[in-house]
Amino acid sequence: MDVATLLRGDAVHRAAYIDPAVFALEQERIFRRAWLYVAHESEVPQAGDYVLRRLGPEEVLLVRREDGGLSLLHNRCAHRGARIVTEPAGNARQLRCPYHAWTYALDGRLIGVPLPEGYAAKPDLGLAKVPRVESYRGFVFGSHASGGPGLAEFLGALASAFDNMLDRAPAGTLSRFGGALRLEYRGNWKMFMENAVDLVHPGFVHRSSVEVARAQPQALAADALTQQGAQMFLANGLRAPQWDEVPLHAFPGGHVYMGGFYKGGVIGAEREDAVFTRYRAQLVERHGEEKAADVLALDRFNNLVWPNVSINARFAAMRVVQPLAADRTVVEVLCFRLDGAAPEMHELTLQFVNLAASPASLVASDDLEVFERCQRGLQDAALEWIDLRRGALGDRRQDDGSTLGSGTSELAIRNQFAAWAQYMTR
Amino acid sequence: MKHELEAFVLREARLLDERRFADWLALFAEDGVYWVPTLPGQASPQEALSLFYEPKPLLALRVARLGRPDMHAQAPASRTVHHVSAVEVSGELEVRSALIVAEWRAGEARWFAGRALHRLRREPEGLRIVLKRVDLIDSEAPQRAIAIPF
Repeated sequence: MDVATLLRGDAVHRAAYIDPAVFALEQERIFRRAWLYVAHESEVPQAGDYVLRRLGPEEVLLVRREDGGLSLLHNRCAHRGARIVTEPAGNARQLRCPYHAWTYALDGRLIGVPLPEGYAAKPDLGLAKVPRVESYRGFVFGSHASGGPGLAEFLGALASAFDNMLDRAPAGTLSRFGGALRLEYRGNWKMFMENAVDLVHPGFVHRSSVEVARAQPQALAADALTQQGAQMFLANGLRAPQWDEVPLHAFPGGHVYMGGFYKGGVIGAEREDAVFTRYRAQLVERHGEEKAADVLALDRFNNLVWPNVSINARFAAMRVVQPLAADRTVVEVLCFRLDGAAPEMHELTLQFVNLAASPASLVASDDLEVFERCQRGLQDAALEWIDLRRGALGDRRQDDGSTLGSGTSELAIRNQFAAWAQYMTR
Repeated sequence: MKHELEAFVLREARLLDERRFADWLALFAEDGVYWVPTLPGQASPQEALSLFYEPKPLLALRVARLGRPDMHAQAPASRTVHHVSAVEVSGELEVRSALIVAEWRAGEARWFAGRALHRLRREPEGLRIVLKRVDLIDSEAPQRAIAIPF
């Protein structure tokens, strides 16, 4: 397949979303090369702790070794291929296959085989290792490629999203908590990443939740949770000129972040209530007044680490997009505790994620519906190309190599396809 | 007593199937909550994420949205059957039941299964829901858009 023919100026061919051969090539050329998020170090604090995760096309185990280091191993017995671990998380002194009891140390070394006398020498095998695993300040990524840029270089300007989340923690550390929400849609993985930074869709896709919040202003005076919900729903009701003022910053490698658009109220960047006042004082104690103010003022909504991570540092939440097939995607939504902050701050995070990202959310459910409609519609062969020109005239190249666009531009989508083309054609 | 409580939860389920969402909402006490946790045995909504955790005023926004033609996740609308069985009075005005929801929408059928817990209160107008909790058997599993409450 000549992938280069799928991009034409500012249009992409529908095959990029629907063709299983393109999907297979994406798995090889993007998801077996790029750094992909695995887990947070707080999920495996003790020796023997493990979590079972997806890393592109493979299932992997992140294991805390006795020496404190991390191993990222394929969950496949080196003997007959059985999955070793089936629980999503646990603790083990060694990893033992249920089939013929081949036994592995926490670093994947084979340490026990039954009937060793039948072998000329102990089999020179072990659990396959993911070639590269690195942590960026507690966020563990893996790469199936043995070469390529290191994690910090890969993250580039988007490392600031992790930094900001950490800076928001009074103790300076984060802990994963709250389980996960998982969404599924019968559509291509790229749709989620594109939609997260498409600021024209909210006015149309989310209009019903905007309008019900407008029609029931008493919700803004109800319990704290309802207030938060009503404010979040109303925030999607900006007019086009207001969305235009939300900046999009696009970076090489497909990464992008957008400015914030939650202004004031429970969801504002700074609040007046007792919980927030105490939290703010903790941050001032840690950082000093000037830096604490800067940390809180860094108001971005979605920070996208291409190909498949979206971070909201202000609400300590992260989404990880897992492509399963050209027309099937799962999105995991994760939360982090700002260590040292009061429990009420974590409740705000949980509520933000429930309200914004549950498959039952008044907001996210309509996004999922639209992705499925696009996937169905793109089966139609009458029109081959998808236009990506919206706002292109307004793109402004910056000295640091990034591109600045206004909120209503399709800049972020063009930028993602630029990275896509780089990976897919080499 | 058992008959009265059973009749209440059966009617509550039927109102959802008949898309009488405003009547369904009216069954909740003013401080009532609808909750679908993600963890089996989840102790509280503060412990972990929830598919739904909605006090009545928030549920009122959901119900109002279900009546709008621009709710894309309900265009076309779902048809559902909430099958409630094994109804058991498990405490003072507390009912436990088994729940299977079949949903047909846009040419596809889906199924949900779980256990429901109703905590009720007797008010001048009749029984009202203080808490309806639904624990799905696959509460941690990926779900496509969910529009109709369980």
